[in-house]
Amino acid sequence: MPVHEPGKRLMHHVPLEFVRKKVSGHGARNVNAGLSLTSFIDFLIVTVVFLIMTFTTSSEAPLAKGITLPKAENTIDMIDAPMVAINGSEVLVDGSAAGNTRAIEDSKRMQRIDELFNILKSKREIWKQLHPGKDFPGVVILQVDQDVQAVVVKSVFQTAAFAGFPNVSFMVGMIPKTQH
Amino acid sequence: MAGIDVGGGGGKGKRSLDSEINMIPMIDLLMVTIAFLLINAVWTHMSRINADAQVPGPPRPDEEVIKQEPEKVLNIEMRSQDKFVLIWKQAGTVISTIDVPRKDDIQMDGQLKSIRYPDLAAKISSEWQTVGTHRDPTDRKFDQAILHTDNETPYVFIIGVIDAIYQAHRPFNMGGKTDQVPAFNVTFAVN
Repeated sequence: MPVHEPGKRLMHHVPLEFVRKKVSGHGARNVNAGLSLTSFIDFLIVTVVFLIMTFTTSSEAPLAKGITLPKAENTIDMIDAPMVAINGSEVLVDGSAAGNTRAIEDSKRMQRIDELFNILKSKREIWKQLHPGKDFPGVVILQVDQDVQAVVVKSVFQTAAFAGFPNVSFMVGMIPKTQH
Repeated sequence: MAGIDVGGGGGKGKRSLDSEINMIPMIDLLMVTIAFLLINAVWTHMSRINADAQVPGPPRPDEEVIKQEPEKVLNIEMRSQDKFVLIWKQAGTVISTIDVPRKDDIQMDGQLKSIRYPDLAAKISSEWQTVGTHRDPTDRKFDQAILHTDNETPYVFIIGVIDAIYQAHRPFNMGGKTDQVPAFNVTFAVN
């Protein structure tokens, strides 16, 4: 029996390149990694439970582009009502243009926004036709950017009130309630 | 393949109580559930803050007008940079006037701004405790607060003051259950 030089012998007889590289220690790291199935399923279940807990069936009210809402603590839940957004100097009702506030900003005086007034009034008429004999709730939700001046808010507020929407709500971001 | 052992069983001729769940469909189900919930998740929670407008409505000939004693109303003046003025009025007559120093506690969260007035909130609460009319939990009516601002005030400051007014809470009996609800109805004066 011939005498061989001492060294690594395992798998050296396999005539394959990648096996030779692997056993000689020069091969790349294995691309397959082991994963503990128990931990993986635990993680998935925890994720599912968290998402179910935070899940809400009510759809989120769409926020007009470019508006940064302020935050408040003592708030109430959103309701389904016409949405008036003040985006820069543009006024939108449910996403459709309803006048602008440039004249109010320039004059710094409260004014009625006629286009907004007409749209809200027609919305009120439609509601009354669809719900005969019922009291009109008169709720409108305002989405106003945090830096808009009070005179613009007042003008929109008054226009909405005169169009038959005296219950005005301001849409805000929610701050978690502190203990009183 | 993983299994669930529910114990027992193993008797002669009886069906085994051990059952196996195929892991691959189970993980698929969990993944699909996660994807569905992530797509439908709502990360920003919006809510609203209420304010009424005092606008005379059209006459209602079908309703009898009941003459009521004018109530005390809290007027909050926000026209100065250094103080708020709280004025209790009854039928246009000033009952009392209180000055509250104005300290804007501005909190920034990236672009989002929130203004807090803890001193004003505390003062409004204590005023309501002493002067407020509708304090009984069975009382269906609420005290009225009217906010007056100048024309230049940014909207975020108005929200800060309305939030401070709503900080005052009272017990309110609703369907046999007593809840804590805001003590005031807020009206935003446009004059």
